[in-house]
Amino acid sequence: MNSLAVPMTDDVLTEEAGERSVPATLDAFLAQVERRAFRMAELQLGHREDAFDAVQDAMLRLVRHYRDKPAGEWSPLFWGILRRRVVDLQRRRKVRSIVVGWLGGGRDGDGDELPTWEPADPGPGPLDRLHDAQSWRDMADAVRKLPLRQREAFMLRVLEGLDVADTARAMGCSEGSVKTHLSRAMHHLRDQLEEWR
Amino acid sequence: MTSPDDRIEQRAHALYRQASQQLDPAMAGRLRAARREALQPAPSSHRAARLLLPAGAFAAVALAALMVWQPHRGTTAPARAVPALIAGTGQDDSDLPPDADSADPTLYQNLDFYGWLAANDSSAPERR
Repeated sequence: MNSLAVPMTDDVLTEEAGERSVPATLDAFLAQVERRAFRMAELQLGHREDAFDAVQDAMLRLVRHYRDKPAGEWSPLFWGILRRRVVDLQRRRKVRSIVVGWLGGGRDGDGDELPTWEPADPGPGPLDRLHDAQSWRDMADAVRKLPLRQREAFMLRVLEGLDVADTARAMGCSEGSVKTHLSRAMHHLRDQLEEWR
Repeated sequence: MTSPDDRIEQRAHALYRQASQQLDPAMAGRLRAARREALQPAPSSHRAARLLLPAGAFAAVALAALMVWQPHRGTTAPARAVPALIAGTGQDDSDLPPDADSADPTLYQNLDFYGWLAANDSSAPERR
């Protein structure tokens, strides 16, 4: 049984307090979000290298196309870019699975369907160093089971802590849609994370 | 008192923050390097591409001009050759007929005479 309370460490609290102020430079902003962006991409893609590629690409695109935007807009822009990059990678992976299926790799010798192809992950366990690794894994499993839009709303609004307006901008939808997706996501998570209640 | 949803949200948020802080050093280093690379000024290849674009356009225009000019050269060369051909009909036994546009029309009217003249012109010095 996992521990229910996850105390916020001093580092985490200090970090969050620092983030409330708008960063002065793009370097400072990216330094703030890069690790969280990696965790968010990893949570959705389930693969460290793909997650790193997505974050790297999102950083590049933000710098190239939006470096002249006001600092207050960087956050929704960055998370929006990362969201689209993750979706692209998921689609590419799906296409790859279909191609493998066409080439006859989708069925075993008995004609039974094989599980969807996933790239091998050679890196260390994603959260070997995390004290509450099992809780994180439980949450990751539950979040991955959510439909795409509900998952995005939950991650941006609850995990990343964006406000409704910024979440809507990052998701490219209305604020009402964000609230609907989030409400449905919480409904699903209540069922799946019963131990947390 | 907090609702079940609030507890889930708080716990999920805290786990996410901790997981991000406790990222393994190797991946943290790679992310730092990726950030520095992203913040580098535009690489020289972009500048080179900016220079290559007008240069390529100029080369294309030059090639097009050359292709347009080439047929004129092809037509003007024979035109210049025709008068020489006509002028040399007396000495050179050419297979090509004179150009009808540039030749004197009386040449065609008195073609039999000129034929006779040409045949007898070579024998004239022998008579002397």
